[in-house]
Amino acid sequence: MRKRLLSLGLALTMSIGALAGCSGSKKTSWKVTCPWAPSGVAAVVSQKAAEMSTKYSEDTTLVAEAIKGDAATVNTWVADTKANDPELVFVGEGLLSITSVLDPAKMQFTYEDFAYVENLYSSIFVLSADAKLNINNISELESYVAQADEISVAVNGATGSEAFLAASLFGAMGAGDKVKLTPYQSAAEAAQAVAKGETSFAVSHQSQILETYQQKGVTIVCAFDEKALEHGPFAGVEGVGESGYPYFRNRCFIMARAGTDEEKVSQLKSLYDEILADEEVVTWLQDTMLLEVDTMSKEDVEAHINNVLEIVNEYKDIVAG
Amino acid sequence: MKNWIDRFHTCIDAWGEKLHEKELRIPVDLTVGVLFLLFALFIMLVMPQQVAVSEKDVINGRAFPTLLMRVMMICCGLLIGKELYKLLTKRPLTWKVINLQVEVKALAILAILIVTYVVCRITGLFVIGAVVCCLGFLFYFRCKKPAYYVITLVIAVAIWAAFRFVLGVDF
Amino acid sequence: MLQYIIPATGLLFTLENILWINIGVFVGSVFAAIPGLSVILCVILFLPVTYTMTAIPGMMFLLGIYCAGGYGGSVSAILINTPGTPHAAATMLDGHPLSEKGRTKAALKIALYASTFGGIFSALTLLFLGPQVARVAAQLGTPEYFMVCVFGLTIIAGVSGKSMIRGLISACLGLLIACVGSDPMTSYDRFTFGISRLYLGLDLAVCLIGLFALVEILAKAEKRLDDLHMDTTKIKDDGKITKSEYKRMLRPVLLSSLIGVMVGIIPGTGASEASWFSYSQAKNMSKHPEEFGHGSVEGIAAAESANNAVTGATLIPLLTLGIPGDGTVAIMLSALMINGLNPGLSLFTTDGDIMYAIMLGLILVNLFMFIQGKFLTTIFAKVVSIPQEILTPIIVIFCFAGAYSINNNYFDVGVALVFGILAWVLRKLDMPPVPILLGLVLGNMTETNFRRALLISNGDPSIFFSSIYCIIFLVLIIVAVATIVKGKLSEQKKAQTVAVAQEEE
Repeated sequence: MRKRLLSLGLALTMSIGALAGCSGSKKTSWKVTCPWAPSGVAAVVSQKAAEMSTKYSEDTTLVAEAIKGDAATVNTWVADTKANDPELVFVGEGLLSITSVLDPAKMQFTYEDFAYVENLYSSIFVLSADAKLNINNISELESYVAQADEISVAVNGATGSEAFLAASLFGAMGAGDKVKLTPYQSAAEAAQAVAKGETSFAVSHQSQILETYQQKGVTIVCAFDEKALEHGPFAGVEGVGESGYPYFRNRCFIMARAGTDEEKVSQLKSLYDEILADEEVVTWLQDTMLLEVDTMSKEDVEAHINNVLEIVNEYKDIVAG
Repeated sequence: MKNWIDRFHTCIDAWGEKLHEKELRIPVDLTVGVLFLLFALFIMLVMPQQVAVSEKDVINGRAFPTLLMRVMMICCGLLIGKELYKLLTKRPLTWKVINLQVEVKALAILAILIVTYVVCRITGLFVIGAVVCCLGFLFYFRCKKPAYYVITLVIAVAIWAAFRFVLGVDF
Repeated sequence: MLQYIIPATGLLFTLENILWINIGVFVGSVFAAIPGLSVILCVILFLPVTYTMTAIPGMMFLLGIYCAGGYGGSVSAILINTPGTPHAAATMLDGHPLSEKGRTKAALKIALYASTFGGIFSALTLLFLGPQVARVAAQLGTPEYFMVCVFGLTIIAGVSGKSMIRGLISACLGLLIACVGSDPMTSYDRFTFGISRLYLGLDLAVCLIGLFALVEILAKAEKRLDDLHMDTTKIKDDGKITKSEYKRMLRPVLLSSLIGVMVGIIPGTGASEASWFSYSQAKNMSKHPEEFGHGSVEGIAAAESANNAVTGATLIPLLTLGIPGDGTVAIMLSALMINGLNPGLSLFTTDGDIMYAIMLGLILVNLFMFIQGKFLTTIFAKVVSIPQEILTPIIVIFCFAGAYSINNNYFDVGVALVFGILAWVLRKLDMPPVPILLGLVLGNMTETNFRRALLISNGDPSIFFSSIYCIIFLVLIIVAVATIVKGKLSEQKKAQTVAVAQEEE
């Protein structure tokens, strides 16, 4: 009898397990789809925002989801959603300014298919160099570039934001024909490539190069921003903008489907603004994720897209051949 | 109806018995060698249309598939060479016997799978396809127990419901 | 290591994880107990379910299936003299005779105890050895990784199937299929033949459903209807194992667990090889070799502990180098990668808490396998006799629903069907499917490292022989190929001698 009861209990436990995850709620849940790696920066920040949404809203809950696939995921999202659906998606300059120029056939959507909500974060990429080269600032980099025969740079993906930042910096230095971009499968892999001596430089997000930097495998040369970095372990690293080189920040725009009621969009924007103003979130973003809180208006977003478009059009020959 | 089904099964059995005796012998190594050699050549032929490359690339997108197809061709060459050597030295080739009855039965199963797929696709309702699939296989296995029909159909609908409502798959 | 253990424990011991482990163990035991349904098929069918989960519950579920599959196969081997999975064949030699002596429950108990010990031993090996291997792996660069891929593919192509050449052709086919879609280095489309959906590439799980699951449905055509019906023996004994039997089990269990771990670490070799090798070792070392084949407790214990000792060991090359130890764990790699967890040292450092939770979870999986085995064996025994009329359409529905659910479209179901037909044709041509699977899994990694290495060296192939690690792997490839070829030649010679002897008779 005892064994039968135990068997029954175990079977019941498993049935409950099969149903785990089915729960209902009266709140409006907005599913936030991140079209990049689930362990990537955007997915992690989205998860944090979702956790914080319950603190700032009683009727709106954000549910973070990550489906790797980039343009393909956004294509599906656009095809499957209509105005006012409780669905949000992330897009960045990679899709709106790079893929739209280099491979427009891959995109079954345009900027017009979205209603802009807010910018989740801004990420300032840095250029790191093999520690053996001992390059610590832009002027040392310029001297190196002038005498080098080949400049090998590790980047995440062949035609990503990192590739265009590298191409624009070395292109503007007049060394476009010497640049050899080596694409890696992830930003972390690209960052490690410099330390392993496979390339001389790498363009990566700050958090991805931090461990290698702390192990003294690389030096940080410059940041792709207007001014020197203000926060985090790389504070003080000079921005390429100070020397007149082109740059852009990596941004993550939260979008609703075009046609969604303005009231709903502005409610969501307010919710995100409150979350992004939370002290805990700000500290976490700046110190742990090495990101910037950078809320933006629709006009700022369009200016960012156009700025990246200009850079892409000018330097696409270096990146795509 | 029952009579009709029995007559159909008798007819199928008689046909099956005839097919069971029919066998096809193929020189399997030689066939694999020739087939994959042709396949590799085809891939090499379509490569320029199917793989766009940039002149700037040191190593372009055709390099790896080309390497693979070359390795495949070498392997096929070895298989063909081995079998031709056996032919020349009058040693027995490697043969594979294919029973026609088995292949016809496999085609019947494939037909059930394709019909299931087509029904799902046309109706857009997975559950209808699932029911068709169950009935198809129960008929294939000549199941005469009504309980089996009930159990299978209930499980089929339960699987659809689990995917639809628990996992949120929209079909 | 200790700094990860505490957060890992917190991550692991959640109700969700415990439930998924139990569901996985239950499903794995049931699948493996049914002859004709393999563990790999079960993992393929349930892989899409894990795509909706985070890394830990997803891996716990799959590991539950994988480990319990090791034990579940023995149920039908003991009860009806038909191994539920290929690696339970050695268990059958003594398990069924012992069952025929009226000691069915005792045989099942021995199999369960041995499986649990083997599994836990293997999980501990993974826990202590994994991070060390990962440290070495961290020193490998792009050309070294390419050599690792070639090493893994060569061994797997060599050991699966009767001919190494056929294995290599299969591996090339798998690698070529992996090339379909966007070029990983340039993003240009490749081999899409004008089908726009193909630019995303072919999803691994969809291909596997066709290659391994649907082909088994087509293979029902190879059996007569009467052969598909089975009946189970009723379990009547009290299942008591004597003290002397426990003592006799001890040595083979320890030795076989060690053998299982060593076999598991080598890519391409798996539970079947480990169980047969351990069985023959146990027979050679036993004081009662005459009992083997007639219900020896040592025989059952050796075979079962070895096939479960493989489970943790196969994860060592997978988690450190990305080279799967066998076909089943190759599928698990995609469950990890979909959560952004890539094999290598970072898995043990940056994602250390998740990784250690998974490794500790493997111990937990074995403990729950023990508990379920103890109390639910009667259920597992009953499923052995589920009629094929019911089982076959259910598997098909699972296959179709699984393929559809990955990207929510019927295109993938069509792709799975095409791969099912392809697998049937390949089966008719005696082409092994496992190298295709490995080609699909390792395709991207092999190609990107190959091209990137040549890009770094400006097209100079000498980069593949430039470091000590490259040379070590080259030597390993040559040794492995030579050993495999020698083994195949001696097998052929033996077969010819037997054929000549038979002709003379």
